[in-house]
Amino acid sequence: MPRALAVDSYLIDDAESVIARVRAGDPAALEVLYRSFETPVYNVARRICRTVEDAEDVLQETFLEVFRSIGQYRGEGSLWGWVRQVAASKALMRLRRNKYRDTDELHDEVHAFRREDTPLRMDLEAALERLPEISRAVVWLHDVEGYTHEEIAAMMGKTPSFSKSQLARAHVKLRRWLGEEAVA
Amino acid sequence: MTHLRMDQLLALRDAGSEPGSAEAGSHIAECAACAAELERLHQRVARMRALPGLRPPRDRFAEVALLVRGERRQARLRRLGVGAMALAASMALIVIGRDVFTPDVARASDQLTATMAESAALEQALQALRPDQRVTDAYTARVAASLEDRIADLDRRLSAAQSGGTPAAEAELLGLWRERVGLMDALVDVHVTRAEQVGL
Repeated sequence: MPRALAVDSYLIDDAESVIARVRAGDPAALEVLYRSFETPVYNVARRICRTVEDAEDVLQETFLEVFRSIGQYRGEGSLWGWVRQVAASKALMRLRRNKYRDTDELHDEVHAFRREDTPLRMDLEAALERLPEISRAVVWLHDVEGYTHEEIAAMMGKTPSFSKSQLARAHVKLRRWLGEEAVA
Repeated sequence: MTHLRMDQLLALRDAGSEPGSAEAGSHIAECAACAAELERLHQRVARMRALPGLRPPRDRFAEVALLVRGERRQARLRRLGVGAMALAASMALIVIGRDVFTPDVARASDQLTATMAESAALEQALQALRPDQRVTDAYTARVAASLEDRIADLDRRLSAAQSGGTPAAEAELLGLWRERVGLMDALVDVHVTRAEQVGL
């Protein structure tokens, strides 16, 4: 069972007070909250979105939504878990909005990488970047952020089977591109 | 021997949440190749989790704060039942706020135009609040008077800078107009807060 590794990794001193001040509209509290989660939110956004510009937009949309909806946060679960949920949803919405071409073949045309049957060894960053958007989103959300297939499916408007299949396809590609395939 | 597929390896890794993992488990106990494949899967994921965090290339806080402030003011004006003009002015602030920070509007002259429009929108919001027709407590009156004095002083400096006509004047003007927007913003907030407390 994947664990939500990052859920408790970002903590704010005196979080309850900061949240109360954000609800009251205290600009200093807005900045405390923003600075606390700016990097992890961007990280989730950038891992899912294709471009830096999209990730920056998701960062902004996430915090606008967080500041608008902070009254709905009831303290159930960590604050980072709640903020991250907003960020992931915004990033996935951005993917849907952009309607990137997401089939393997078209994706390879766009990026003009070497043919897949050519032996190659990429670094992990490059291999992740090369994955189709949906596959990359699933592998990141599941294996790194710790979401379950059911949660990912709900965010994407798909089935858990779709999420599982995307994860398996992503790992097959990563294994190949990282040169990790066993020699038969 | 048929080795495990990736979906079976993943099911085995996520054992407990996936059906059929018991069968794969007994296979992997006997198959060194699949055991190695599972280990590589674990290591790959560990490397992903260990990737360095990516930092945003630009600081977007000022932009976010401006948009939040505009939205909140709009909501407060709506609650107060202030007229359409103030709401329109508040909406204009949000739109202008977005434009000011858009890379496409990077030129100083465009920023100057946007900042002047923002100042005008705040003037409209202030007029819609009719601060001169409401009873104000001494503290609010003092704060408002101080802000108004600073705005008047700024307007004199703006007038002088505008008549200068030097090439450096545009950058100076932009700084002064931004300062004016900040003061106007504070003044509107003072009156909105007061109006919320005592009613219009």
